[in-house]
Amino acid sequence: MSTASYGYDGGDLEKPDQVLTVENLRKEFGALIATEDVSLAAERGSITGLIGPNGAGKSTLFKLISGFYEPDAGSVTLNGTDITGWSPDRIARRGMTRTFQTPRRIEGMTVRENMLVGPQNQAGESILSTMFRPGRVTRDERANLERAADLLELFELDHLADEPATDLSGGQFKLLELARAMMVEPDVLLLDEPVAGVNPALAEDLATYIERLNRERELTIFIIEHDIDFIMELADPIVVLDQGRVLTEGSPETVRTDDRVMEAYLGGGGES
Amino acid sequence: MSLASTGSELADRITREELLIGGATALFLAAVAGAVAGGLLESAFVVSSLAFAPVILLLALGLNVQWGYGGLVNFSVAGFFAVGAYSTAVLTNGSDPHGLALHPAVGLVAAMAVSAALALAIGLPTLRLRADYFAIATLGFAEIVRLIVLNEGWLTNGGLGVFGIPVLFEAGVLSGPAELLNTTPRNVGNVLIGFLAVAVVFLVLRRVQSSPWGRVLRTIRADEDVGQALGKNTYRFKLQAFVLGSVIMGVAGFYFAHYLRAITPGAFEPIQTFYVWVAVILGGSGSNRGAILGGFAVVLILRGTRLVNNPVGAIETLLNAPIDVLDRLLFSVAVDFRLSLGLDLNQDALRLLLIGLLVIAIVRLRPQGLLPPQREHIWPAALGGGGDAPEEDRE
Repeated sequence: MSTASYGYDGGDLEKPDQVLTVENLRKEFGALIATEDVSLAAERGSITGLIGPNGAGKSTLFKLISGFYEPDAGSVTLNGTDITGWSPDRIARRGMTRTFQTPRRIEGMTVRENMLVGPQNQAGESILSTMFRPGRVTRDERANLERAADLLELFELDHLADEPATDLSGGQFKLLELARAMMVEPDVLLLDEPVAGVNPALAEDLATYIERLNRERELTIFIIEHDIDFIMELADPIVVLDQGRVLTEGSPETVRTDDRVMEAYLGGGGES
Repeated sequence: MSLASTGSELADRITREELLIGGATALFLAAVAGAVAGGLLESAFVVSSLAFAPVILLLALGLNVQWGYGGLVNFSVAGFFAVGAYSTAVLTNGSDPHGLALHPAVGLVAAMAVSAALALAIGLPTLRLRADYFAIATLGFAEIVRLIVLNEGWLTNGGLGVFGIPVLFEAGVLSGPAELLNTTPRNVGNVLIGFLAVAVVFLVLRRVQSSPWGRVLRTIRADEDVGQALGKNTYRFKLQAFVLGSVIMGVAGFYFAHYLRAITPGAFEPIQTFYVWVAVILGGSGSNRGAILGGFAVVLILRGTRLVNNPVGAIETLLNAPIDVLDRLLFSVAVDFRLSLGLDLNQDALRLLLIGLLVIAIVRLRPQGLLPPQREHIWPAALGGGGDAPEEDRE
């Protein structure tokens, strides 16, 4: 592995009220070290932007945090609980969920049905309850339908509730994914390129929604995004990832003016 | 407009597919009834075909839970079918080789319990793996079941099979209808019991499918990662679907054993698995009604081919009909040739040929099946309806 000519600052671990803390996370795929040593933390109610050149390890880091990959070393702490090595579903139930970079459409489901997959501990998820406690199933389903309707209205998707989700445009589907994730009622939301392939007008909408969720629900958000303008507008702080490590963390202004960031993006870096 | 009301309107609407399929089914039934009335078809044959049909219908409903709901590739349909059949056969037969002669109710419980236990035993270690490994494991399981049945003679009587399995329902009240239909009371009883089982399973599955449980499985089928990201323990759901489907297949085996009263290993060849797959895919994966429809289509091919004694001859007669007419018109002067296909085709081969053609036709013309799920699956009671529409009151 090459060592950059510039120094790595690492993330700021001294924040108050940390909802998510990542310490010395490492992941290797054979000879390839995708995540070398990542430490960072998120304060409750913050929007953290995660940027970095291609191959910096952003998506790998998301998979490590959300449980889709098991780290080789290091730890992830959510709300004071060590969740290292937990399965993604267990992590989601504990309060952290994610969206995906490429749209994951569920065939044969309407928008509304998509929304109804989100809620946790639904009585009707047990076969026995559907047989012997139909009343509880009905109660839960009613409550969830109502919550789904409210969220769809918030995201201005209510007119599409009965449409097959496969008929939505790319941008509308990104909105649906965000709304569906909110059905989980998470404390922490990981968004993997929420505006990739979305037209500028809808991207602006998405930014508004994300800000609103963050403000009104004290939702802590992590965003990977290649659209630098979008993320600089939305997130503070910004964490810069490079070659599997945290290059620096700071406000959009400090990151923008940091020479090392430019260098990392231009592929300068060090001699191997 | 509230979400709930648009949903129930959708549910009330009959789709074009439903109309077409319903019409075609009605026409077909009318044709069968006409053929029976006109003496072209024996009513006894129709009844005995109906007594066989629940076997395929139950197997198709079971596979639909696994493949249609959850996307699980189970190549062991014949395996669980055999497990169900032998579980009840061994316990209830009155002669060879055990003579335990227990009540069929015991056989039913055993068929379901053994199927469930074996499904757990295969599913627990393999459902965590990638989907293709699971498929291979089920293929192996079917072969293991077949070999055990063939070789463990003390339990299964080996290749000789188990005889003296009791009839499920044969009462005096059945003799009237049986006489009317020119068949045996046993056949009539089997039709009743068989379709009762199909109805019960269908109703249970319809309920389960429109529940949040069914929704999670459809999510898993489309993209397991999404299910996990939304907090669903996908492994547990897959395991439940696999066990539920296998238990239904076990019930099919139970019914089959009592329907035939004697079973041999030959009845559980791997080809049975693929007949059931064809039924589910033809009907429309994920649809319970589709599984029933596809199941009937397969039964039609399996049983209908029995009516054709000389398939090649029949096709040749059909092809030569215009030549015959021409011949007669010309007073047998000019035409003295007939088409010959030069084929030797028995009923078994015809059956396979038809199934093969059917598979090609589905894949080319209608890959989603004849009657795929027609509307969204949301717990019906929660959508209000029936007068008390609480959703609308609140809005």
